[in-house]
Amino acid sequence: MNRAIPVVLLLFAAAVFPLSVKTIFLDVGIERQLGTAQKIFYYHVPMAWIMMLFGVVCGIAAGVQLRRESRLAEAIAIAAGELVIVTGLGVLITGPIWGHASWGKAWTWDARQVSTGLLWLVFVAYVMVRRYGAAGSERLAAALAIFGAIDVPIIYYAVKIWKTTHPSNNVVGSLPPEMWAALWPGLGALVATCIALVMVRTRQELTEMNLDDAWVRAEELGEAGAKGATT
Amino acid sequence: MRSPAAVQPTVGGPSSAAFRATTASMRLPRQAWLLARNDLRQELRDFELVATAGFFTLVVLVMFGLSFASLGRSAQPMAIPGILWLAVAFVGTLTLTRIFDRERESDTLRALLTAPVDRLAIYMAKSLVTLLVLVGCCLIVVPGLVFIFPAAEVLAEHPLQTAALVVLGCTAYAAVGTVFAAGLATSGGKNVLLSVILYPITSPVLLWALLTTRALLEGYSGVPGYLLQMLALDVLLVVVGGWLFESVLVGSDMAPNRRGRRR
Repeated sequence: MNRAIPVVLLLFAAAVFPLSVKTIFLDVGIERQLGTAQKIFYYHVPMAWIMMLFGVVCGIAAGVQLRRESRLAEAIAIAAGELVIVTGLGVLITGPIWGHASWGKAWTWDARQVSTGLLWLVFVAYVMVRRYGAAGSERLAAALAIFGAIDVPIIYYAVKIWKTTHPSNNVVGSLPPEMWAALWPGLGALVATCIALVMVRTRQELTEMNLDDAWVRAEELGEAGAKGATT
Repeated sequence: MRSPAAVQPTVGGPSSAAFRATTASMRLPRQAWLLARNDLRQELRDFELVATAGFFTLVVLVMFGLSFASLGRSAQPMAIPGILWLAVAFVGTLTLTRIFDRERESDTLRALLTAPVDRLAIYMAKSLVTLLVLVGCCLIVVPGLVFIFPAAEVLAEHPLQTAALVVLGCTAYAAVGTVFAAGLATSGGKNVLLSVILYPITSPVLLWALLTTRALLEGYSGVPGYLLQMLALDVLLVVVGGWLFESVLVGSDMAPNRRGRRR
């Protein structure tokens, strides 16, 4: 993996992020009904998209890991799973702030709130199994990530049958041009940052796997040497 | 999924291959039934699982009864589905842990994995036993709910729909739970992780079951449609569970640990 790519992506994000802040807070007017709290939309929506995207990436990478015993896929799954937790936390913090301003209530058990919360819990469970599971639990965690990716639409549909107060997807599609212009820089900066973080974390995980291997080999060599010395 | 017995030298042409495939497909349900019957026979000797799961169900029901019995009739349809499916979730965790602990204690899981048995048959057998225990516990919970809450009388008035709801909900829970309980049993312990994994991962199943139970209690005419959706969800989860079972089980026990990680 090219080491320069994450650096380039982070530099891009560092350049675009101030532009995003300027566009959102200085160029776009204050929304009449929701006031300044509406500005949170420009970071809440991209983080939700990124969370869903990397949830799917984690599920697919976990499937490849299970079927092909691929180390790279395993490392990508771990990195993507951790990123889902970080972006999910962002979504779960910014969502209620926005919800409080628009609905007068931070948490309404709306379809998208519940599905986001449960998806976040599934990936926290994934990381916990990776972290605290016994040796060999990486396959168990991979199965968990696959079930988690499958669960997302099921949970969403189940809760949607009740009722939803959340804006539909059409709201994002029907945004006026100036709001789109403010959304793009923030989205670009966040996506670039997240891809860079996943790449760095993937490489770190691969290094850790190689170090583990070296440790096991060194132990085996040590044991073989000790046996040779006694005989 | 191929068992050691399925790997045989090729003799004959395509017709013999087709014959072998047919024989293998017929062998799978038989193997699953034999394994499930073995578990059930073991259970009949000491009633350990039935007694502990049944008693635990009763305790959970009493605790929920103490907490919610004073609810007004109009509020009861909102509490009853939660009580029913949380009881299933709690008892399901206990059952799954015990089913695989028994194999681990007598070191028979390793023997089972090295035996000429299709791994899918192991999955089917364990899921079936879990399902039977869960349905048995629902035979305590549902009449208990009818006794405690007047609004739950609807469940007794529609026995076929209630039975279908209970069987479909428990099947989905057993289909998902078996994969992870087996994986934890072969990965060297830490059963505490089963609850951490099972509750978030079975939430869609429980949500769907909650939704259907509430619709049934409120006399909604679309209950058969919800039951069909639950059936579709069951098929999806059984297929994914069967597909993942061997990878989760064999990779964590039979194959040598690829890295021997030291976390």
